Amino acid sequence: MHKKHLIKEKKYFIKYYICYKLKVLNRKGVFILLNKDSSIPAIIEMQNVGIRYGQGPEILSDIKLSLKKGSFHFLTGKSGAGKTSLLSMMYLAQKPSRGIVNVFGKNVNFTNRDSLSLLRRKIGVVFQDFRLLDHLSAFDNVALPLRVCGMDEREVRKRVKELLQWVELDRHMLDTPATLSGGEKQRIAIARAVINRPELLLADEPTGNVDNDIAPKLMKLFVELNKLGTTVVIATHSEKLINDFNYPRLHLQNRGLRIFYPNDVSGLGGNI
Amino acid sequence: MINRKQELPLKDDSSSLFLQVMITIAVFLFAVTLAGVLSINSMLLNWNQSILGSLTVQIMPVNSIDKDKAREETLEHQNKAVRFLESRPEIEKAVPLKDEQLEKLIRPWLGDGTNIGDLPVPRLIDVKVKKGENINFAELAEKLANASPQASLDNHKLWLNKLIRFADGLKMLAMSILLLVVTIASGAIFYSTQTSLGLHKYIIEILHMMGAKDTYVAQQYAKRTAYLGLTSGAAGLALAVPAIFAISRLAEQIEGGIISEATLSWGSWVLILSLPLFSSLIATVTAYYTVKRTLEKMM
Repeated sequence: MHKKHLIKEKKYFIKYYICYKLKVLNRKGVFILLNKDSSIPAIIEMQNVGIRYGQGPEILSDIKLSLKKGSFHFLTGKSGAGKTSLLSMMYLAQKPSRGIVNVFGKNVNFTNRDSLSLLRRKIGVVFQDFRLLDHLSAFDNVALPLRVCGMDEREVRKRVKELLQWVELDRHMLDTPATLSGGEKQRIAIARAVINRPELLLADEPTGNVDNDIAPKLMKLFVELNKLGTTVVIATHSEKLINDFNYPRLHLQNRGLRIFYPNDVSGLGGNI
Repeated sequence: MINRKQELPLKDDSSSLFLQVMITIAVFLFAVTLAGVLSINSMLLNWNQSILGSLTVQIMPVNSIDKDKAREETLEHQNKAVRFLESRPEIEKAVPLKDEQLEKLIRPWLGDGTNIGDLPVPRLIDVKVKKGENINFAELAEKLANASPQASLDNHKLWLNKLIRFADGLKMLAMSILLLVVTIASGAIFYSTQTSLGLHKYIIEILHMMGAKDTYVAQQYAKRTAYLGLTSGAAGLALAVPAIFAISRLAEQIEGGIISEATLSWGSWVLILSLPLFSSLIATVTAYYTVKRTLEKMM
């Protein structure tokens, strides 16, 4: 009983320690509440955005979107609706064929390569296929975002060890992805996405490749991060996941984007 | 124990071996050619100094049926010329060549066992001019002819100028080879780096997603090629040094005293031995800018 209590207390301490490190707790240990009013700055803004590949038709047309800091959205749509394309625009892997995309207040069309790299450091991405580097250990994979920023190696080691403990993978620190299970890889991918304390977290089908019992655990992790101030967008097909969590849904349909709020029963949704 | 591993597994690239071989060959050729250029330079320097500081007086043999008398008369002309030259204030010394020295000079053409006394061969006087003295060559030649009618003055300029022009041509050829070697090696590094970038496109995309700048990727390539440039350069040099010694030994065997003047100074050796650093620098700069340029076009 005493041992269980100690473990619980340890986990509680680690959680609060990371919250403090992520600067969402003040020194007295009180959560800094997120301002929900309309004056909150938009992390991502899109105006009349269209995407086409080569000379083909537009797969996304006239997209208008404004994601406020600290918001949480699901991104849905049928296969081929353009979810991955929209996400890749958000994580700056792709520029729009037309229209304006502002990320962290900067128009990506007029931002140079080095500045785009600096913006990407504020974004954490969890890919559907994890995109871990197979020749690197779990530790090195998680350390990647810190090392590309040029962080001191001692600080990198400290932070990565802490986070791997938090996601309960400290025993697999030196293992390569090939020796890890799907769930473990997923946690490594998530740890890599959050290690740099991102302001925006984008996840493409993060529960698509994991067992049913792991999916809710991962979702809870995203919810926790959102509470700590991170703006979260999760692309998913899972209706169950959407119904289990009361967050607005960005739905891609007929090349356009509509928003559905949890209390919207009309099923029509609204424009953003 | 956590050891940091490079994100780009460049060590395992198949193009690494190709680059190693290329750089080794390039440095080998560069070192041998550079040794040639530096030797030609030292040779030209020696020749120029000899033009400035020395003269040769030729005493034409006296023609007579009586060989001994002819020889005595020729030697008499030689002594007159020596006495005249020694009396001149601008001349440091005038030394007539001995029979053995003359025999050695004509040996390449007439072979061993030649008796100089049997042949109507001109006698030679090696004249050293005092340092900093300006000689009026025409005046000296005229006065020498008055003192010893069989004597004629040669300041080496005519035939040395031809040799210098030839050596200059050789030097230009060698410099072109050096340029060609550097261009080919840089080209090989350029294409090998581009191939490697294509192979690791997936990893580079992930690095970009994590916020890596192009310079981060370029630095990893530069680091790897710097190492390859240094080690392969050292291998090329290790092959080149014995080759330079071998060529030098062969050159020494050529008689006539022309090629053997081509020697390498300590400064030249320092330059040659620093070639691995030079190859490392070229490899690093080429790889770095290739990555930067290619990534801008590729992504």
